[in-house]
Amino acid sequence: MHSLFQDKIRSGSFVITAEITPPKGTDTTKAVENADMLRGCVDALNITDNNRAVMRMSPVALGKILKDRGHEVIVQMTCRDRNRLALQSELLGAYALGIENICVMTGDHVKSGDHQGAKAVYDLDSVQLLSMIRKMMNGSDLYGNPLDSAPEFMVGAVSNIDPGQAMQMLKFKKKILEGADFIQTQAIYDPDLFESFMEYAREFKVPVIAGIIPLKSAGMARFMNENVPGIHIGEDLIERMEQARDPVHEGFEISCEVISRIRPICQGIHLMPIGQHLNTQRLLEMAGFSK
Amino acid sequence: MIISQDKPFEEILELLQDHRTIFIIGCNTCASKLHVGGEEEILTMRSGLEDAGKDVIGWALPTAACSIRSWEHLAEKDRSIEKADAVLVMACGSGASVISRVTDIQVYTSNNTTSLGGIFKGEILPDQCKMCGNCTISYFGGICPTAQCPKNLLNGPCGGCADGKCETDPDKDCVWEMIYLKLKEMNRLDLVEKIYLPRENK
Ligand code: SF4
Ligand code: SF4
Repeated sequence: MHSLFQDKIRSGSFVITAEITPPKGTDTTKAVENADMLRGCVDALNITDNNRAVMRMSPVALGKILKDRGHEVIVQMTCRDRNRLALQSELLGAYALGIENICVMTGDHVKSGDHQGAKAVYDLDSVQLLSMIRKMMNGSDLYGNPLDSAPEFMVGAVSNIDPGQAMQMLKFKKKILEGADFIQTQAIYDPDLFESFMEYAREFKVPVIAGIIPLKSAGMARFMNENVPGIHIGEDLIERMEQARDPVHEGFEISCEVISRIRPICQGIHLMPIGQHLNTQRLLEMAGFSK
Repeated sequence: MIISQDKPFEEILELLQDHRTIFIIGCNTCASKLHVGGEEEILTMRSGLEDAGKDVIGWALPTAACSIRSWEHLAEKDRSIEKADAVLVMACGSGASVISRVTDIQVYTSNNTTSLGGIFKGEILPDQCKMCGNCTISYFGGICPTAQCPKNLLNGPCGGCADGKCETDPDKDCVWEMIYLKLKEMNRLDLVEKIYLPRENK
């Protein structure tokens, strides 16, 4: 099947992606409903891989199910749960099932999840995983043994956006060097910071998709400041959420302001609301994206 | 130095539940320095076991539990060991394992072995090396990310690093922050620019 998401990324068009979390169980009804709500308003669904180290259904399996319903999917692949053998066989299997987009990340440590005594694998890091995927796309496995047919993925990676963090920026650079086709960022609340990141990122000519998480309450903002690495929600925003009569609406307003500031300088947004996508369409309309 | 800690006493009693006559072997190297297998700890263990109804018939403190010369050499100092029906090793897993090789008496350990570390100015430094068999520490200013980063990353920090602290423990510095500062001071940041290949696990 022809990939519109890939066309858009390659041609420099603006893309909208949204996060879908697989079920903790075998019933995919809710996840499918969640995905179907986004039909026609996003370019691809980005499916998490045991997000926050909480055990859930394989994103490849859910990816196949959503793909069969006509959704374009991006399957996340972390380094936490699989060694180099498992990563490669999973990637080959995913491609054979029709999954063409992968987003690579290190993965939250098992200590943050619901299987704290699990072995944290990290046989490869995200940079090494990217370079292994390149190798596979060029027709061989990690050790140079030929593949009888090679996958053709579009491969994304994630990045921190603080240009003041020298090592994070170095890692960003390594990801581009190892062939990341696009970069997805953490949630953006500070367009100025994002702008300075884009100044740094521009020379690498990589499509950047900015993360958006609408705030639901002042409490959530404070919680994120304290618990989500790399997120700094300014006091002014927290104040606004506090004063708002309808905090959910205010959260949308804030997201829309961020989107309108960053839209001209990046190549997409990635929506990661807490919970279902019930209001994602409304948010996109408010932000001026027509269906 | 091998870092090990005491198991909970209840667990030790459970391990020894089928045995009455116990001989204790400590270790005068790592375990002793860490106060989990020296003379003082052996004596405390002895009285604890005796209070629990065990017969502790003797004890020994070899220079290093992991490099004993022979059973004869060990038994020479205290013949009562021959009469024991269980040996309790207060040392790391390596010590317990070497002692198990030289005797048919059942060997138990009172310690949980956690890492290869060190002590500096009295502070215990865990996880200094993971014995990966392919040392890359020289590239990272003498700070090993394989051992000290909980994700064993070789190409820079994960996204979980916040304000220089580790995702898994906000009281711990992210090892990449430490490597960065050290190499910057040494004017060798070029070392982290390099892309490191996957580790060949031994
Ligand atoms: S790289 Fe680290 S874990 Fe491996 S041998 Fe060297 S110090 Fe030990
Ligand atoms: S925060 Fe730093 S030390 Fe901790 S897991 Fe991430 S990269 Fe490793």
